[in-house]
Amino acid sequence: MPIRLIISYFLMGTGSAFAVVTVLGLLRFPDVYTRIHAGAVVLTISAVLVTMGTAIYVWNFFLSAKIVLIGIFFLFSNPMATHAIARASYKRQIALPKEYEIDAYSDYLGRDD
Amino acid sequence: MLQKISAFVFLLIVWFIFAGKISVDVLIIGSAASLLVTLFFSDMLFREVHRRLPWYHYLRKLALILLFIPVFFYEAVTAALKVSKHVFEKNPSFNPGIVKVKTELTDITGLSLLANLITLTPGTLTLDYDRSEKAYYIHWIDVETVEEAELKKKIIARFERWVGVIFR
Repeated sequence: MPIRLIISYFLMGTGSAFAVVTVLGLLRFPDVYTRIHAGAVVLTISAVLVTMGTAIYVWNFFLSAKIVLIGIFFLFSNPMATHAIARASYKRQIALPKEYEIDAYSDYLGRDD
Repeated sequence: MLQKISAFVFLLIVWFIFAGKISVDVLIIGSAASLLVTLFFSDMLFREVHRRLPWYHYLRKLALILLFIPVFFYEAVTAALKVSKHVFEKNPSFNPGIVKVKTELTDITGLSLLANLITLTPGTLTLDYDRSEKAYYIHWIDVETVEEAELKKKIIARFERWVGVIFR
């Protein structure tokens, strides 16, 4: 087995392990915002590791470049989506954090609670 | 004009990569599509620069961006391990909260890039940016401190220096 395949299998396996961790986190964490944190793991680490692994696995210039572009697209779209979801659910009061001790954002929005 | 030409060339390269081969028919369809996109949206891709820097500054910026990629992945993996540790606890014990962190950047591209980098790192999530006070509101999964200097060091200092040098 060439060393290129070993590296690609290692990257894909690590990415899949992080994906499993993400699912457990989504099920176990208490509220919306902490679950979003768990989801950020899968999109940043896991998707990028799997795309890097597949790009090494196919080892063809055009296919690898295409897969790397898909990985870059993940890196662009993930923070925008998570930021939009979190900010909308705070500002529209869809899911307010009740028991937070430190909450500087509610002062900024001018709420008392 | 330079803005439009660079946007056109960039889009054509991306088109060739997605098409998967270099031939005449791909070139014809790709240049038509890139021209159409360039006519309408060219100002969204690259910005017009007002003050010109010598050429080696751009080379240095490119080298810094390439150097920044492994640094970012190292930080992201360590932060992901920190979040994954909470998943395997019997009762997830952490102290989530929203903190306010001041920044010194002024460039709009640098500001949005720094906010995206903070969101990409697992464990921290940018909620909003206050223009008058120049501060980010960051949701942090495990608030360790509320002191301002410590906060800054723990959350954004690792990226702020890089972004500040690259986008000045």
